[in-house]
Amino acid sequence: MLDVRDLTVSFRIGAGHVAVTRDVGFHIAPGERLGVVGESGCGKTVTGLSILGLLPRRTSQVSGQILFEGEDLIRMPAAKLRAIRGRRIGMIFQEPMTALDPVFTVGEQIAETWRTHFPQQREQARERAVDALARVGIPLPARRVDEYPHQLSGGMRQRVMIAMALICEPSLLIADEPTTALDVTVQAQITDLLRELSESAGTALMFITHDLGVVAETCTRMLTMYAGQVVEDAPVDEALVRPRHPYTSGLLRSLPRLAPRRGALPSIPGRVPLPAQMPPGCRFKDRCPHAIDECAAPQVLREVEPGRFVRCIRAEELELPGAVG
Amino acid sequence: MSAVSPIPAQTAGHVADASAPALVRVRDLCIEFPTGDGAETVKAVDGVSFEVRAGETFGIIGESGSGKTTLGRALVSLLQPSSGSIELDGVDPRSLGSRRLREFRRQFQVIFQDPHAALNPRQTILASVREPLEIIGGKSAAEIDQAALDALARVGIAPEQARRYPHMVSGGQKQRINIARVLTLRPKMIVCDEVVAALDVSIRGDVLNLFADLQREFGLTYVFITHDLSVVSHISDRVAVTYLGRFMELGPAEDVTENPLHPYTEALMSAEPIPLPSSMRDNRRIVLEGEIPSPIDPPSGCRFRTRCPHARPRCTEEVPAWRELRPDHWVACHFSSPDGPPGKSEPQ
Repeated sequence: MLDVRDLTVSFRIGAGHVAVTRDVGFHIAPGERLGVVGESGCGKTVTGLSILGLLPRRTSQVSGQILFEGEDLIRMPAAKLRAIRGRRIGMIFQEPMTALDPVFTVGEQIAETWRTHFPQQREQARERAVDALARVGIPLPARRVDEYPHQLSGGMRQRVMIAMALICEPSLLIADEPTTALDVTVQAQITDLLRELSESAGTALMFITHDLGVVAETCTRMLTMYAGQVVEDAPVDEALVRPRHPYTSGLLRSLPRLAPRRGALPSIPGRVPLPAQMPPGCRFKDRCPHAIDECAAPQVLREVEPGRFVRCIRAEELELPGAVG
Repeated sequence: MSAVSPIPAQTAGHVADASAPALVRVRDLCIEFPTGDGAETVKAVDGVSFEVRAGETFGIIGESGSGKTTLGRALVSLLQPSSGSIELDGVDPRSLGSRRLREFRRQFQVIFQDPHAALNPRQTILASVREPLEIIGGKSAAEIDQAALDALARVGIAPEQARRYPHMVSGGQKQRINIARVLTLRPKMIVCDEVVAALDVSIRGDVLNLFADLQREFGLTYVFITHDLSVVSHISDRVAVTYLGRFMELGPAEDVTENPLHPYTEALMSAEPIPLPSSMRDNRRIVLEGEIPSPIDPPSGCRFRTRCPHARPRCTEEVPAWRELRPDHWVACHFSSPDGPPGKSEPQ
């Protein structure tokens, strides 16, 4: 359904361009839930925004292909993209308060999406908005629909954002850190809701997050990004138990729950190279305990076993620990 | 082998002494704020009593609005109690004059969440680290320089980096610099308010390890405030669970996180997303209804009752007593037993 190929995004900095993602490729099948993980600056948000055509055109360059149901979103005229965005691809962002307009009721904002895409069915919009609020578990939806964002709690606002994203029943929902601003008990409600909605309606999900626990509980596949590249793409449960890329393994081993209580926590030494100073070979090489001379050559994302893609020359020979034991 | 640094053996096994004297004594602490229009009162902290023992790491967990940050600020005299008292090393800071207080409070320091906001972007790192000692006075410029550079070296910041500006270093390094700045004052206690929340997972471990090393080296006492359950249970000796301005539970970290007594703690622990394959997760998640109520008008009786799956009429009528159900392990719930929260009949 979504097929991203060789996606490279660069930003204009001074006189030149700096690539922040390089040759990103992955696909999402109908109903599949893909978790995109990685640390700040790895390019996961930029990848999501580029699919939606939301990067500033004047300062960014996007190359490659983003095929959505067979059509390339990058080369699509703006008007046609607008007809897809919000209708067939929904989106949710991290901070529900800044994404909602404080001077309109939540009902008006949810209905706007519907009216934009179904102008001939305007009179149904309010009814649709009430239905959407009910579906995302908001109590008394017929009353809440006339409330303003400030009258709702953070969790309720994020439910409103989900209702807005789902009102046109899109086939793909892109959610960028949708639970990061929420408390853990509310986060559990929202991730459960997203999974249930995806399962019941067959909506595919691209779930961008830094939280590996959230991915484990919400998604079916996990895409690990590092320094603007995809380094691993695998079914979630397999990636958690037996990661094939040293970076995925390092991330999983850094989680405090695996270390002995009060003992030292493992971490990954060094830091991510700056976008303007990316090495030509493996971008993780300088932080990797398994690096060998061959890692200085450019690495490709290879299918090392059916459904498992890794950007590491040593993927087959290394036995890397995961989140278990 | 994995892409992680090895675990130095000596770092494991720090255990604070349960009989250590109290460095901090908090009694019936209430902290109230007027709302924006002044018509109502927010009870951010509403009747909390506890002690922090010398040399321990005292974890405080809670969701937003639980009062944990307000409590931390009160511990370092950044906020005044509305009622109740805080004694630091046997002294009530309110009894001190402003000059004595300035000298006294250097022993009780705080580090905040956002390492970027805590450093002046127009000052070099060295200037920022020097500043507390300049305020305290009594040292020559050369002595202050040396103390600042020593503290920076201790947290792994080289002298040449000290001449740089904050935007030239990473988030993890900035938080190290904030630690160095506090270390120059030789504090007895540091309140750490969400100090690793803004850091990426791969460097979080380094900073937490540094905290642990400094504790051993300088005999520091920490009050570690966080919403991150895995961090608090890893680093703390004892953990307090806050909800809407009150403690729900307080006990040894392992006991509280693995075998809690309060239904809120149990739900909080079960809500934490665990990065394990579905076949290895236990699916006994307790999904709490709704969200934390307003601290302007908290529920009567037990504050958690509006979201508690075990709430009964008594919970509306009566504030639960603070009971020690297991050794050193306290809970505020009418119906918890030494076996655990209500509904848990067999001990685990």
